[in-house]
Amino acid sequence: MDAPTAAAAEHRRAIQFTGNWREYLPIAATNALLIVCTLGIYRFWASARQRRYLWSRTHFIDDCLEWTGTGKEMFLGFLIVLAVLVPFFLFFQFLFPALVARGKLDAASGILFLFYIAIFYLVGVARFRALRYRLSRSWWHGIRGGSNDPGWNYGGEYLGRLVLAVMTIWIVYPWAATRLWNSRWRAMSFGQLEFRANLTAEGLKGRWAMIYLVPLGMLAVVGMIFAIGATFAVTYGGDKSPGFAAFVIALFLLIYLAIPLMTLNWYAAFYRKAAGALTLGDLEFGFDATTWEWLKLVLGTLGLIVVTLGFGLTYVGYRNWAFMVRHLQIYGTIDVAALAQSTTRAPVEAEGWADAFDVGAI
Amino acid sequence: MIRGTLYDGSSAFPHDVCVDVDGSGLRLTQESGWSDSVDASQLKRIESGAGAIRLGQLNVPGWRLVLPADAASKLEGLLGRKERYGRWIDRIGLLPALVVGGVLTASIVGVGYVAPHWIAPHIPMSWERNVGGAIVGDFGDLRCRDPNGQRALEALVDRVAPGATRGPDAIRVAALDVPVFNAAALPGGYIVVFKPAITETDTDALAGILAHEVAHVRRRHVTEALVREFGIGALIRLFAGNIGANAEQIVSLSYTRDNEAQADSDAIQMLKRANISPKPTAELFDHLAKEQGEGSSFGAEFLQSHPLSSGRAKKFAASFDPRAHYSPALGRDQSDALFNICWKRPVKQS
Repeated sequence: MDAPTAAAAEHRRAIQFTGNWREYLPIAATNALLIVCTLGIYRFWASARQRRYLWSRTHFIDDCLEWTGTGKEMFLGFLIVLAVLVPFFLFFQFLFPALVARGKLDAASGILFLFYIAIFYLVGVARFRALRYRLSRSWWHGIRGGSNDPGWNYGGEYLGRLVLAVMTIWIVYPWAATRLWNSRWRAMSFGQLEFRANLTAEGLKGRWAMIYLVPLGMLAVVGMIFAIGATFAVTYGGDKSPGFAAFVIALFLLIYLAIPLMTLNWYAAFYRKAAGALTLGDLEFGFDATTWEWLKLVLGTLGLIVVTLGFGLTYVGYRNWAFMVRHLQIYGTIDVAALAQSTTRAPVEAEGWADAFDVGAI
Repeated sequence: MIRGTLYDGSSAFPHDVCVDVDGSGLRLTQESGWSDSVDASQLKRIESGAGAIRLGQLNVPGWRLVLPADAASKLEGLLGRKERYGRWIDRIGLLPALVVGGVLTASIVGVGYVAPHWIAPHIPMSWERNVGGAIVGDFGDLRCRDPNGQRALEALVDRVAPGATRGPDAIRVAALDVPVFNAAALPGGYIVVFKPAITETDTDALAGILAHEVAHVRRRHVTEALVREFGIGALIRLFAGNIGANAEQIVSLSYTRDNEAQADSDAIQMLKRANISPKPTAELFDHLAKEQGEGSSFGAEFLQSHPLSSGRAKKFAASFDPRAHYSPALGRDQSDALFNICWKRPVKQS
C-alpha cells in the first residue's frame, strides 16, 4: 500500500502542524512553575512534555508523530555525561591557574589548547548523538528512527573540518558545514530506510562571501564620508556638526547589524538546500523559509519575551518547532507495508552531551 | 464495537481492526479471522491530538491502537490515569509539588548563600592554605623577587596590620609583574599586588589598598566566596542553565559588594590606628572613578562587584581628620625599594 505524500494535487501538505498556543498554554505555564520550584531539575521533564505535545500535534500524511523520550532518561543521561565532564572540567579548572600562578605560561597555553581541542571534538559528538537520540524517540505508524553509529568518528571529522575553517578565518566554512551535514544524516535511518544526503557548497558560496563583503563595503562608505566630511571641515574651518557624528555612529551600528543579518541570510539558504539534498527511500524533502521569515521568527520571539517579561521563553521551543514544520515539505510516496521497524540501538545518555554543550541536533 | 487502526510495531502498515471492550481488557478482531486480546494492565495512553485516542502496549514497542475520540466513554475505567507532569509530580499532585518544591528550593538557595558567611570563619586556615598553595604556587617568573622591595612590601603590610606577616597564619604578600592596576586576596592568605599599583601610586594609597586586602583575608571573605562557588553556585549552574547562572551571579555579587564595603571600613580603621592619612587612598579612588568615567547611576553599582570608586573615595575622604598628625606609611628608603621591587638586575655573565 502506498500512502501518497504532498497529497497529490490537493492543497493539503503532507506534513502539518495542528497545535495552537492556547492549547499549549497550560503546559507552558506549569512547566515554567515547576522548573522554578525544583531549582531547574524539572527542565528534563518539561522538555519531554513539550515534545510529546509538539510531536503529537504534527500530522504526517494520515497519522501524527509521537515522542517517546522521557524526562527520567534525559535526567539520567545528563547525570552520566556529568560524571564524565565534571572531573574533566575540575582538572583543567585547577591545572590552568596553577600553571599560570607558577609562571609556566607555555605549559598553561598548551593545556588550554588541548582543552579546546577536546571541547570541539565533544561538541561534534554531542551534535551527532542528539540527532540520533531524537530520531530514536520519534515514531510514526509505530516505526522509529535511529542510527547504529556511536558518533565518535563524526566528532573527529567535526574537529578536523572546523579547525580547517578556523585556520582560514572561516572562509571554507560552507564546505565544512555541507560535508558535516552529509556525514551526519547519512548515518541516520528511519525504520529500515537510510537517509541519503548529497549537499554541496554549490550556490552557498556567494552568500557566505556577503558576510565578509557587505560590512567591508559599508566600512568603505564610512571612510569616504569621513574623507568628504574632513574636506568640508577644512574648507569651511567649521566644527564637525553633532548630526554628522550621529550619522557615522549609526553607520557603525549598521555594520554590526549587517554581520548577523548576513549570517542569517546564509543559514536560510543553507537549510533550504540542505533539506532539498536529503532523501529517505522515495521521500524527498524541502524547506522554504526565506531570510525574511527567519528574521520574523527571531524578532517575534525576542519581542514576545520582552512583552511577556520573560514568560515567552517557555514558547521558544513551540515557535521553533511550528516554524520548522510549517516550512518543511515532503514529497514522493512511502510504501508503508515495506517500511519495517528499525533495528538500531537507542542511545541511553539521551541528550546529555548536547545538553552539556548547549548545542542543537539539526 | 469500535473500529480502529492497529500498527503492529514491525511494519508501518495500518491494519483495520474491530475492538471490543471486555472486563479485563480489549479484544481485537479482523474480518480475516485474526484475533488478539490485550490485558488492560498492559495498555498505556499516548498523547495525541483531539481527534483520536492512542494506546500503546507496555511490552511491544511500536504497537499502537488508534481509536476515534468518541470511544473514550467505553474505555473509561479500563485505563489508568494519564501521565501529566511526570510520574514523580503526578504522585503528589501539582499544587503540593509546587509548594513543597518551592519551599525546598527557597531553603536550599537561602542556606547555600547565607551559610558560607557563617561556615567560612570555622574552616581551619591550614586547609585553606593547602588549597591556596595548590592553586597559587610561587608565581614563577611573574613574581617580583627583589629582596629589599619584598622587605619593604612586608613592612607596609605590617605597618597597617601589625604582626600580620608573622606567625602560623601569616599573610603572604607578593608583587607580580603584570600590567594591570589591581590587587587581590587569594585563597590561603595570599595577597598579590600588580606592578602598576606599586609604581603608579603613592605609598600611603598603597597602604590603603593593602589594608583593604588584609581585611578580606582576616574576615575570611575569600574562603566564603570559595565555599559559595563550589556549593550552591555549582549546583545552580549545573541544573538551572544560563538563566539560573545569571541570577546566581547577581545574588553572589550582592554578597561581594557587602564584603567589599566591610573591607573598606576595616581598612579605614587600620589606617587610623597606623596613623596613616586616608587622603591619598581617597584621591586614588577618585582618580580611578574619573578614569572609568562612571556616572552616578544606581544601576552601575548594582552590577559591579566593587562599590563605585567615587563612593569609596568619599568614605575614605570622610575619615580624614584635619587635626591629626599623620605620618608617612614608609620611610624614604623603603619607599624607593618598594618602587623598584619589579626591577630586575641584569644577570652577570660568568
